[in-house]
Amino acid sequence: MMKKKRGEKHMNLKIKFVPYEKFKENNLGKFMKELKHNTIVLIDAKLSADEEAKLIKETMEKVSNDFSGIEMNSLELSTGKQESGIDVVKNMIIERITGKKRGLTIIGPAKTVRQIRKNPEELLLYM
Amino acid sequence: MVLVKLRKRLKSLISKMFKKKSDVKIGLYGPVNSGKTTLANKICTDWLGEDIGKASVVPHETREIQVKEKVKIESNGKSLTFNLVDTPGIATKIDFEDFIKHGMKKKAAKQRAKEATKGVIEAIKWLDNVDMVLVVLDSTKDPLDQVNITILGNLDARKIPFIVVANKVDLKSSKASRVREAFPNYKTIGISAKTGFNVEELYNHLVDAV
Repeated sequence: MMKKKRGEKHMNLKIKFVPYEKFKENNLGKFMKELKHNTIVLIDAKLSADEEAKLIKETMEKVSNDFSGIEMNSLELSTGKQESGIDVVKNMIIERITGKKRGLTIIGPAKTVRQIRKNPEELLLYM
Repeated sequence: MVLVKLRKRLKSLISKMFKKKSDVKIGLYGPVNSGKTTLANKICTDWLGEDIGKASVVPHETREIQVKEKVKIESNGKSLTFNLVDTPGIATKIDFEDFIKHGMKKKAAKQRAKEATKGVIEAIKWLDNVDMVLVVLDSTKDPLDQVNITILGNLDARKIPFIVVANKVDLKSSKASRVREAFPNYKTIGISAKTGFNVEELYNHLVDAV
């Protein structure tokens, strides 16, 4: 949950984990619905370049006065032998979250991500 | 699905086999406000004596594909004739409120946002039509932005040859070396489309690449 400024209502923020197989099965339209409703989606794989392009196209079709688009970040597990310390930590986090060795994609509504960036300390997670 | 992909690949192979050198299409791709139209204008004024479109600091000034046909460049004793395709900047988000911040009225801002979304879709579709791409990046910004990675990934996957152009090297905050370090496997040239710095070097690479 993310606090808003005084006088404003709290904003409900959902984080949803979507297995890559399910992402591929569902059509993108259904997936976009989740994003439009303040949900941050984690997919347990790095999307292919083609899938990223399709996602951008689909997003642009859905942009409206209330939905300005998405922020996305694909993280790939580095497989090189000469991994830096940061790579090792990054890989550990991705593997811990996903339990798999195929990367991670984080997609969120642009407005929500912008608000989190502005006030990261006001983000409260209830687990 | 596989059949559709096969048919597409076959069609593209056949059209490449029978394509005249002057039919070559070179696309300018990149994120919003990286200087694609400024570079397109530089190329067109250098070799045709006229602009291709209007460049602006307001995002999404280019919202439609613009093509300038039969641009002939000469460099190092070689020449190349091609159709130059200037594309709208690729983005994952377009907020009409950002245009209002640039002084636009609400109605005009909403209209611009609508047109800009269509522009992004068109730019992605045009990836199937270009033979070579200049990926224009703003060298004052982080090169590892997701949009840049998506563009380069798509060019790689479609086997479209490209040159990474680190633009705006005339600015103090420019770090063209950061672009080179981010993409060490790709040919990268630092230029200023605005001042013309190192554009000659880009022409040398272009006539050799196609």
